[in-house]
Amino acid sequence: MNHPEDDQNDVRELRELLKKSVPRVHAELRRDLWPEMLQRLDSRTTRVPWFDWALAAAAAALLLLFPQAIPALLYHL
Amino acid sequence: MNPHPYVRGYMAGIVVPTLFLLVVMSAYFVLRFILQVPVPIERVIVFPMAGVPNLWGLWNMLYVRRRQGGHPSIGVHGALLPLVLAPLAFLVATGLGLAARSQGAFVYLEVIHANYGLVAIVIGVGIAIYYLAWKYFVNFFNELLGVA
Repeated sequence: MNHPEDDQNDVRELRELLKKSVPRVHAELRRDLWPEMLQRLDSRTTRVPWFDWALAAAAAALLLLFPQAIPALLYHL
Repeated sequence: MNPHPYVRGYMAGIVVPTLFLLVVMSAYFVLRFILQVPVPIERVIVFPMAGVPNLWGLWNMLYVRRRQGGHPSIGVHGALLPLVLAPLAFLVATGLGLAARSQGAFVYLEVIHANYGLVAIVIGVGIAIYYLAWKYFVNFFNELLGVA
């Protein structure tokens, strides 16, 4: 049976060994990340490709040429 | 962790048609009660009001499910919806006795005649509008709710 003092010494020794082997973690950030986050949010602009513009224009043109299609479109969609 | 992705997908899907319905309803009130247009629009407005937003929500839930297996295009996914909606709307209108087929055309409320050419235009324009609406608006709300 181990003596309680021996147990205490073992725990202390184990703690020291762990401290030596595991590198110290830096809990604090080295710099503020929020400005970069804001910059990233600002840079998120939606780019509409030419194909989508052409599609929207074609749909609008068809509705102008055939206005009688509008009620059917509103009902079905 | 993203809890309840399908509920989020449903919620993101119903926003666009629900907002657009306000425009449709406003136009309906102006046409029917201010300009006194003699067409009983209220008989056919049930489908756009009740059915369409729910179907958008369900369709977006399907998109969320499809995304788990790959990266489908949301625009193409949305563009397929008119191919489901249009026949369904016509079936509902026919079932309620509000639409019928006669001599190369569809007749709504016995006053609106839509020949097959016009129907093709409606479907084509509908697919284009849905493609764009899903690609930009529904996708935006999907991103907002974390299911994009």
